[in-house]
Amino acid sequence: MVTGSLNLLRNSFNKLRIDHIFSRSFQTPRYRPPYWYEPKERVPSEEFITQENKQFIEEVMQDKLQQQASLHSPLVNIDSSKAAEWNPQTRRVGLIARKIGNYPLWTKDGKKVLTTLLQVVDNHVIRYIPPEEFSPMVTKKYVWKEKNKLGCLLVGSETIDPSTVTKEYCGLFNNAGMLPKRHLFRFMVSPESYIPPGTPLQATHFRVGDYIDVRAKTMDRGFQGVIKRWGFKGMPASHGVTKTHRRPGNIGSGGEKARVWPGTKMPGHMGNRWRILRGVKILRINTKHNVIWTLGVAIPGETGAMCYLFDTILPLKKHTTSPAFPTQPFVEDLPLEYYDESVQPFEEQSITFEEN
Amino acid sequence: MALAIRRSTSEVFGAAKWFIRRDCRALSTLPEKAVEVPVEKKRDRPVVSRIRANARNPNLALRHVYPEFLPDPNPKWRNSLREKLERTDMLNRRKQIDIPEFYVGSILAVTVADPHAQGKTNRFVGICIERKGAGLRAEFTLRNVVDHQGVEVRYDLYDPTVHSIQVLRLEKRLDDKLLYLRDALPEYSTFPFDMDPEILPDGTPVPVNPVQVKLKPRPWLERWERQELQGVSNIEEHLKEKDRVRRELRKEPWEKYDLMKQYRKTIPIEDQNDIWAEVNHQLKQLQLTRKKVSRKRTFGVPKTQLG
Repeated sequence: MVTGSLNLLRNSFNKLRIDHIFSRSFQTPRYRPPYWYEPKERVPSEEFITQENKQFIEEVMQDKLQQQASLHSPLVNIDSSKAAEWNPQTRRVGLIARKIGNYPLWTKDGKKVLTTLLQVVDNHVIRYIPPEEFSPMVTKKYVWKEKNKLGCLLVGSETIDPSTVTKEYCGLFNNAGMLPKRHLFRFMVSPESYIPPGTPLQATHFRVGDYIDVRAKTMDRGFQGVIKRWGFKGMPASHGVTKTHRRPGNIGSGGEKARVWPGTKMPGHMGNRWRILRGVKILRINTKHNVIWTLGVAIPGETGAMCYLFDTILPLKKHTTSPAFPTQPFVEDLPLEYYDESVQPFEEQSITFEEN
Repeated sequence: MALAIRRSTSEVFGAAKWFIRRDCRALSTLPEKAVEVPVEKKRDRPVVSRIRANARNPNLALRHVYPEFLPDPNPKWRNSLREKLERTDMLNRRKQIDIPEFYVGSILAVTVADPHAQGKTNRFVGICIERKGAGLRAEFTLRNVVDHQGVEVRYDLYDPTVHSIQVLRLEKRLDDKLLYLRDALPEYSTFPFDMDPEILPDGTPVPVNPVQVKLKPRPWLERWERQELQGVSNIEEHLKEKDRVRRELRKEPWEKYDLMKQYRKTIPIEDQNDIWAEVNHQLKQLQLTRKKVSRKRTFGVPKTQLG
C-alpha cells in the first residue's frame, strides 16, 4: 500500500522540472543607461577599408555637414501666436557648455570680479519624449512626482565623425537630420516648452543678469587624506608629535556607540562627482562665439570640461519676467556683446566717481 | 687624427649647447639681462639656423614690450578661444587709455579713480618692482618711500579705474624683480612725487641702470643671498659662514640645462607668431596715435603747474 503510493508520487514528480528560481532579497536598482540611449563606443577596424572607401566616407561626411549647415531652424515655421505663454512654473530646456577658463571683469563701481567663461558648443535639440511616454528608471532613493508631468528633451553638442561611433548611436540623430554629437544630455521640460528636433540653441537662450544652475563633474583628485578631503586640521608638526601629522585621529567613542558611525569623515576618493552649483549670475554674453561669462570661479571641473546649464530653481533668484520662450530663435543682427548693467565694458571710458 | 676628431666634436657640442641656450633665451618672456654672454667668434662656417631667423623676426621683440599678450604657458589653463577674447578685451581697453612701454625698474606715475580720495582721483609715483600675470590679470607693483614709510601699491594694468599711466623714467635694472628694495636703504626707493618725465629720443634702446643697492642689516624678508642677484652690492657683509655653506648646498647649477623646464615656462614660437600676427597691426595703430598725441603735446603751450 505504502510502496504503491510512493511509486505513484514518484511517477507524478518524474515530470517535474525546475526552470526558474525566484528569490526575494533587497537589492538597490542597478544603474542602467536610459532607454533612449544607445552604446556609443566602437572598436575601430581598419582592415577592409581601402583608400577609395575612406575618400567616399569623407565625401559623405562633407555632404551631411553641408546639409546640416543648410538646415533652417524649425522654430521659424512655428506660429508664435499659438505658442504657449511662459509662467513661473514652466521649465525650459537648458544648454550644454564647455568651461573655457577664467578672467577678471570690472564692475561699474570699480570692483574686480573673477568670471568663468562657458562656451555653448554647437547645441541642437535631438528628440522630444512627451511625459506619457517618458518612463525613467525606477530608483529607490526618492519618488519624483513632478517627473510624470514633465517631458524629456534630448540635446546634443559638438558634431563628430559618424565613423567613430556605433551605428545605433548614429541612429539616434537620424530623426533630427543631424550628424552624431559627442555629448548628449536630457533636460526635463514642461510640455509647453517643447522645441522641435533640429533646432539650434544659442547662448542667448539665457539673458544677461539671469541666474542659472550649473551641473558638472568636479575635478578628480584621486584618493585623498582627511586634510584635503574634509579640511581637518591635522596635528602639530613638532612638540613631541610622532607619526600623526596628517592623520584623522579618533573616529568614534566608546560605550553604546563603540563602533564607527555611518557617515564618519574618512580618507577616500575625492572628486569626479556630479555637483550642481546653484544661482550663478550671468554677467556678459558674446553672441558670435556663444560664450557666457558667469560670476565666480566655483563652477566644478577643470578647463575644457563640459557642464550643463539650467534656469535656477532658487526661489529668490528665479525668473520674474518671461525669458526667451521656448528658446531664442536665431536672429542675424544681434549685438555682438550683451553686458549686465553692473559690468563695465572695456570699450567704454575709464570709471570716474562723482563728487557729491 | 683621432685627437683632431675629438677636438672638433667637442667644439660642435659646445656650439650646440650655446645655440640651445640662445634659443631658450630668445623665447623667454623675461626681460633680457644686461650682462651678455661673450660671443664666441671662432666658427668655421656661418650656421643659418632657426635661431637666427628668430632673431630677425620683428614680432618676437614685442614679447618684452607687451609681455601680457602671451598667455600662461600652463597647458591646463589654455584655451584658444578664451585667449582670443581676452586679447580683444585688452586691445579695447588700450584704445581707451595709453598703456606705455615700461619695465621693472622704470619709474611710473599712476592716476586712479578713488571714491575715498579728495578730488576722487589718486596719483602715486614709484618704481616698478614687479610685473607679472598674463592677459587681463596683468599687474605691476610700484614702490616709494613716503614720510619715511615704505609704500607699495599693486595696480591691475587693465583696470578701468586707472586714468593714466605715465612713464617718468624709462629704464631697466639688473634684475627681473626688485623685491629686495624692501630690505635696501630707503634712499634707493625714494622718488619725489613732482618728478618731471625724462623723454628719451626716438629709436634709442631702453637704457639699463647698473646701480647696485645696499641692503640694510638682517633680518631680511627673504634669503636674498640665495637668489643670485646682480643689483645688490653688500650682500656678503651680512652673511655668516653658515649662510655661505647653505647657499652652496642649495645651488642648482643644472637648472639652466633643463630644456624641458625652459620649454614649459615659455610659449612655443609657432603660437607666438599667431598671437603677434593677430594683435600686431592694432598695436602699431595705437602706437601711431600715441605718437601723434605726444607730438601735439610738445608743441602746445605749457601749462603752469600750481603747487
